[in-house]
Amino acid sequence: MIKYIAQRVLALLITLFIILTIAFLVIRLMPGSIYDSNEMLSADMVKILEDKYHLNDPLLVQYRYFLEDILLHWDWGTSVAVQPRVPVWEVLASKIPITLQLNFVSLLISLPIGILAGIFAAIYQNTKVDYTISFFVVVFISVPSFIFATVLQYFLAYKLGWFPIIYNATATGAAKYLSMILPITALSFSPIARVTRYLRGELIENLSSEYMLLARTKGLTRLQATVRHSMRNSFVPLANIIIPMFTNILTGSLVVEQIFSVAGVGGLLVESINSSDHTLTIAILIFYSMISLLTILIVDLSYGIIDPRVRIGGGSNG
Amino acid sequence: MSEKILQVKDLTVSFSSYAGQVHAVRDISFDLCRGETLAIVGESGSGKSVTTKAILGILPGNGTIEGGEILYNGMDLAKCSDKEFESVRGKKISLVFQDPLSALNPIMKIGKQIMEALVLSKAATKGEAKERALELMRRVGIPQPEIRFNQYPFQFSGGMRQRIVIAIALACNPEILICDEPTTALDVTIQAQILELINEIKERNNLSIIFITHDLGVVANVADRVAVMYAGKIVEFGRSEEIFYDPKNPYTWALLSSMPDLDTKEQLFSIPGTPPNMLHPPAGDAFHERNQYALKIDTREAPPFFKVSDTHYAATWLLDPRAPKVEPPRVLRERIERMKRRAAEHAGQ
Amino acid sequence: MADFKQQIPDQPIRPAREDDFELLQMGVDLKDAKFDTPPIGFFKDAMLRLARNKAAVAALVLILLISFMAIFGPMMTPYTFDQQFVDYLNMPPKIPFLASLGIADGSRVLTNRRVDGLNDTEKYPEGCILEITNEHEVNGVMMADVKVDYYAYTGCEETFWFGSDYLGRDLWARLWRGARVSLFIAIVSVVTNMIIGVVYGSIAGYYGGKVDMVLMRICEIIQSFPRVVVVTLFIMFFGTGIFSIVMSLLISGWIQTARLVRAQFYRFKGREYVLAARTMGVPDRSIIFRHILPNSLGPIITTMMMAVPQAIFTESFLAYIGLGLQAPEPSIGVLLSEGQKVLLNFPYQSLFPGIVISLLMISFNLFGNGLRDAMDPTLRGV
Repeated sequence: MIKYIAQRVLALLITLFIILTIAFLVIRLMPGSIYDSNEMLSADMVKILEDKYHLNDPLLVQYRYFLEDILLHWDWGTSVAVQPRVPVWEVLASKIPITLQLNFVSLLISLPIGILAGIFAAIYQNTKVDYTISFFVVVFISVPSFIFATVLQYFLAYKLGWFPIIYNATATGAAKYLSMILPITALSFSPIARVTRYLRGELIENLSSEYMLLARTKGLTRLQATVRHSMRNSFVPLANIIIPMFTNILTGSLVVEQIFSVAGVGGLLVESINSSDHTLTIAILIFYSMISLLTILIVDLSYGIIDPRVRIGGGSNG
Repeated sequence: MSEKILQVKDLTVSFSSYAGQVHAVRDISFDLCRGETLAIVGESGSGKSVTTKAILGILPGNGTIEGGEILYNGMDLAKCSDKEFESVRGKKISLVFQDPLSALNPIMKIGKQIMEALVLSKAATKGEAKERALELMRRVGIPQPEIRFNQYPFQFSGGMRQRIVIAIALACNPEILICDEPTTALDVTIQAQILELINEIKERNNLSIIFITHDLGVVANVADRVAVMYAGKIVEFGRSEEIFYDPKNPYTWALLSSMPDLDTKEQLFSIPGTPPNMLHPPAGDAFHERNQYALKIDTREAPPFFKVSDTHYAATWLLDPRAPKVEPPRVLRERIERMKRRAAEHAGQ
Repeated sequence: MADFKQQIPDQPIRPAREDDFELLQMGVDLKDAKFDTPPIGFFKDAMLRLARNKAAVAALVLILLISFMAIFGPMMTPYTFDQQFVDYLNMPPKIPFLASLGIADGSRVLTNRRVDGLNDTEKYPEGCILEITNEHEVNGVMMADVKVDYYAYTGCEETFWFGSDYLGRDLWARLWRGARVSLFIAIVSVVTNMIIGVVYGSIAGYYGGKVDMVLMRICEIIQSFPRVVVVTLFIMFFGTGIFSIVMSLLISGWIQTARLVRAQFYRFKGREYVLAARTMGVPDRSIIFRHILPNSLGPIITTMMMAVPQAIFTESFLAYIGLGLQAPEPSIGVLLSEGQKVLLNFPYQSLFPGIVISLLMISFNLFGNGLRDAMDPTLRGV
């Protein structure tokens, strides 16, 4: 088990390191200096910044400073356009909470809804219930979250006035949560459908498995056998799809945040790209990488805890 | 013959498929006596597994019992509700699976899988159930049961897993054990051990066993009586020696001739053709198309059972007084001679 | 044994015909029955099955229809996708033969207009007012919402079927041109990905051992990069444009195919027929292409189908975050993100590209599902 954790952590660190390197190369090798193209900074300021980040040194030296700055001093550079002269990390840090709230809430509500729908579809396999659920699964998986966001915003918020059109950052309490409902809903359609589709498939397979039959023949009732053998076994591989699901939510959230004017990381990314604030863009991308790598790690570890074959190691022929 | 514990009368089972009704089991009857082992032998698709599934009430969703009775202990299992079945399944009649690899839940501890039925049916407390599980594991020959108790199926070898499946089947002290090709998925050396274990358990628990197999070699080791099935029907029925030394049905001849053994020098006999399509079972004797000894009447009329001895019956027109006298194929006659000689030597020693 | 006795006839069966008890085929060499139906090849079988799947067929029809429109749609109007009518910005959609039904009739509701000004033909050309609603008084002045025929109102002689955008460009032409660009990006990237994936997977699968291990480690690393991050970095570095969007889709898109092909190799290379070919000295290349790859064709095609919506999605996503194509070139993503900015005032600008992208994604997924079901050999014969 310890070996397994160590392997996973090591893999995560290597990946993170490679992403940092690529990010460094992209930003340093782009034509022109990072700072000189920006009219919002005086020549002196550019000089100060260039010195601070050693932009006139050889590439390898720069690379060393780049890693040191980030890893040792947590210095991600300085924003030049979005919030000039403010450290990038500060700009970013203020936007993180709301983004994570949206994403995690969306993930958390998707799981139970998707699981329930999946169970229903599997138990009522090849009936109208199943067909209806499967139809919605295809639609929800196919249509991108930003289309749902647009539709929800136009009809529910603008036409019917049930919800605020954009996210209300200044409000507190109920008003704030009310304005979070639409972005979260828009983000949740696809993960719900993914969970449903996956669980339905797994459950149908487990329901017709030999050990399900054994459970019945050894005297368990249908309900007992279904719950204790089929469902339990279907939940284990669910961990597999949480990773792609979460990165999917994160990606969608970049756009959905912008549609609902949520002052989150997504909006910040768009803003930084449009104003060529490269340092900030890179920082946001690295932040996203870290979040998704962390999710991968957590899921891998939890998988190890749930599945005895991974935990104890060896047997692949379960 | 002792008390009949299970009686199957005129059982007919069919499956609905896309193409139509598949008549998997057609009008079969047999009975099982207390303490005996009855082997049901046949090719794959002959309906033997379906019969056992019907007895246990675990036919897949598209299968139905169309007629007949399965009498056990005053109950007709063919008409039992799911609820009523719960008092029988596992508790009175248990099943040992063909493939122990997939029959055990991969993510549940072995011990828990053995205890589960006992605890859930409230037949025992957790503590008692654990005692019983350890006892069972010991009895089916699992070394170090205390350690094994907390392990998972993937940590067991194939033979060990089959022992566990047998332990699970025995957990609630059933009267009848149905073994559905219990050795097919195992290595030959392990097969013998498992057969021995089943025989031993039968003696000790006074179990009645229905043993399903396509392998006549296995039958010889375990069965008191044998029923040969073809195309959803029983075609010959008798005591083990009778079936092996004095077979009457051409299908039984074919089966026995195609059994590999060490002495046969010629090419192994194989039954020509394929088993009939059970969507439209052929008229008359289902085997006639593949049968060297087919009579004209076989194409029209299904043969009734003819009595060979008090315990031996065969469904073939060849036994009709008007039929020409035919001898079993030469290969088989030689083979039977050899078997008899060897049995005699064995007895002599 | 009672049950058996019951079945024994008391008297011989009805008076059999003379020859009833003749041996029928003694001495005849019994053969396995011949199949009298012509053999059906795997692909033919799969296609037959696919044709029975109504959803998949409908999806295919939709895909073909949208592709047809993407090719010929822009030619159906006199306008080009980049032609600007600076006087006719944000014109509502107007489709001549639908106008009588009250949809797409080129009308727009102007809110809070002075009621006393409505008769001014300078401002409201004759016949342009269709409906006056919601009359109310503000500071002693009567105001109303006026539904006008916007084309008559602005004196526009043109007919924009799907309306025009904020620069007065025809949205019909832009939509189908955009669909063309999006489909082009998707198809080029998916096909290229397939080629890379097949070659990569074949090498890994065929040679196995160390080669395989190294190649698969590389895949693992590339795959653990968040796709969005890699694509964004790539576009930042190389600039926007069709080429760099296609390139960015090639970074990690091939991995799935590669894994699949590798798995197929592992499945088939131990099979007797491949071993036989090997012992007879058939060269590696022809073992790969003649003996192994044909078996993987089904899953590869299915994977490709499923990758198309993914590519279309990524393209739209890039457009949304400001890394879309260079103006004036449209793509569905560009149109969507432009439409989003004016959603509340001119929802039709989002509506049409939204419908097209949704239909495309649903169709490709449905068709992919249908293909997978049709080609899955485990379902064969059911």
